[in-house]
Amino acid sequence: MSKRNPNHIKNGSVTASVIIYLILALLAIICVYPMWYTIIISISRPIAARTLDVYLLPKGLYWGSYGQLVVDKQMWICYGNTILYAGVCTIGMLATCAMCAYPLTSPLLAGKRIVVFFILIPMYFSGGLIPQYIWLSKLGMYNTRWAIIFPGIVSMWYIILVRTYFASIPESLRESARIDGANNFQILFNVYLPTSKPILAVIAIYTIVAQWNSWFAASIYLVKQNLQPLQLYLRRILILQQNLTQAMESGQGGVTSDTSEGMEQMALSADQLKYTMIVVSTLPIMVVYPFFQKYFVKGVMVGSLKG
Amino acid sequence: MSSTTAGKIPKRSKERKLMLLKDNLELYVLMFPALFVILVYCYIPMFGYVIAFQDYTAGAGFWGANTKWVAFKHFIKFYESIFFGRLMSNTLWLSFLNLIWGFWVPIVFALLLNEVVHTGYKKAIQTASYLPYFISMVTMCGMLISFLTTKGLINKIIVAFGGTAKPWRNLPKSFPTIYVLSNIWKSFGFNSILYISVITSVDTSLYESARLDGANRFQQAIYITIPSILPTIAIMLIMAVGSLLSANTDMILLLYVPSTYEVADVLGTFIYREGILGGKFSYTTAIGLIQSIINFLLVFVANNISDIVTGAGLF
Repeated sequence: MSKRNPNHIKNGSVTASVIIYLILALLAIICVYPMWYTIIISISRPIAARTLDVYLLPKGLYWGSYGQLVVDKQMWICYGNTILYAGVCTIGMLATCAMCAYPLTSPLLAGKRIVVFFILIPMYFSGGLIPQYIWLSKLGMYNTRWAIIFPGIVSMWYIILVRTYFASIPESLRESARIDGANNFQILFNVYLPTSKPILAVIAIYTIVAQWNSWFAASIYLVKQNLQPLQLYLRRILILQQNLTQAMESGQGGVTSDTSEGMEQMALSADQLKYTMIVVSTLPIMVVYPFFQKYFVKGVMVGSLKG
Repeated sequence: MSSTTAGKIPKRSKERKLMLLKDNLELYVLMFPALFVILVYCYIPMFGYVIAFQDYTAGAGFWGANTKWVAFKHFIKFYESIFFGRLMSNTLWLSFLNLIWGFWVPIVFALLLNEVVHTGYKKAIQTASYLPYFISMVTMCGMLISFLTTKGLINKIIVAFGGTAKPWRNLPKSFPTIYVLSNIWKSFGFNSILYISVITSVDTSLYESARLDGANRFQQAIYITIPSILPTIAIMLIMAVGSLLSANTDMILLLYVPSTYEVADVLGTFIYREGILGGKFSYTTAIGLIQSIINFLLVFVANNISDIVTGAGLF
């Protein structure tokens, strides 16, 4: 028994405690089990996996489905795209948020009210899917990486969060830097940014997870498969039911360029390959999310203060 | 202003103005990238709403000599079509069900978690409850589709309990249940964060004095814990009402099939299907405009009410 929560309710009956613990355990299992089931099917022997009769532990051990995915060039291209989009959008997001939030805390900024309204209005009223689609296409972003990156590097909400954080930094720090002759750029980079690591970490992690999981914008703007993020590749296989094995056998559908290799793995069922695909694409997030969660909790708290 | 920056700002007004000008120049240079993207990505498309009043053809300008203005033709067409009633009621109904069933789960979860004495157990349960939030929508829907097939996991469980396997995804009747349950599964852990932190900040002495008065565990929850999270609940409820017209479009897009359109098709999915895939730009922009206006009103009213409740605005 470790540290006690000061606000837990003592003097309860043991039966009630046991029931509560069991309900929570059941909820936790419901949250985790689908992923566990997916993992154990993906590494079970194809015979067992074919009927999906694997429940607690993998039946046998078979890495062939992973071997088959690893040689799929298209998947790696999409994987790389996702990493690229997540990286560029995160860096861009941090830069634009910090740069836009800093002036909003300066007492010298003229027209602050107008700028604040300019940032707030789109949070209430959006341009709508179709006008946005037509306009970005007119700008030549259709079927280019810009369609993902350009809207992905600014968020009105994060600007407000950073502004709130910056506003809590003592004004005297800015004053003394000014007296030392620093201009606004120097004050932002040397005074404000170093003290704002917690909020910047929160925004970075929210952006990475959002980009890693996003698919909708890409499905509208990116027709070229070589530009698509991993989630669209996943969608083709999981949702649109483009059969991975069939595509491999016939060499059609652009899912793979490697036709001859696929023939050997005929015993693999389409389901097992799908589950393998889920594990491969979700693994990075599953590995890091226990470390990310505290930033997510922090993000909720910061957001609720001003939300 | 002059008193706070006395050390820096010169007394003579001309130099002072120059200083301010330089400062503001720097500040606006800093804000430029963000404001530029907001202008291009958020504001200019707002003017694109004019095509809702035109017969817009792909490639033409929003505003030109050969634009065909048709006033409210598309709005009337939508209003008179069978889709108006269907889309509106589906959107509201799915959001409403989600609100009614999804709202109390995180609260109950937070209350139950508060009863856990063992920190390690509590942490483990919490971590497990966040996992679905980090799983992507495509992955979740992919797993769901696979589990809902006749030989899938969910049907295996149903059969084990004596039920019959059915292709649930294709049955219109089961769509709302699937939609609501998977939404709850994905977000209840994350949504409980706020409640959990409010509960842990409740003054411990309240519980102690309640115990002295002989309150049992259930009474303490009813009379202390729940009243202390009531303001949070109120705000979350108001905000949820503000998003009643924004059913989870990207989830429905992944989950619905033509046989479930009658119950699953919402404004967002219809706009996507007819607009992006079907190229009916003017017609779907008109629908989008209706949606945006109602959304705006709902969010605006919700925010104002919550500001009154909490006494704090966004800025």
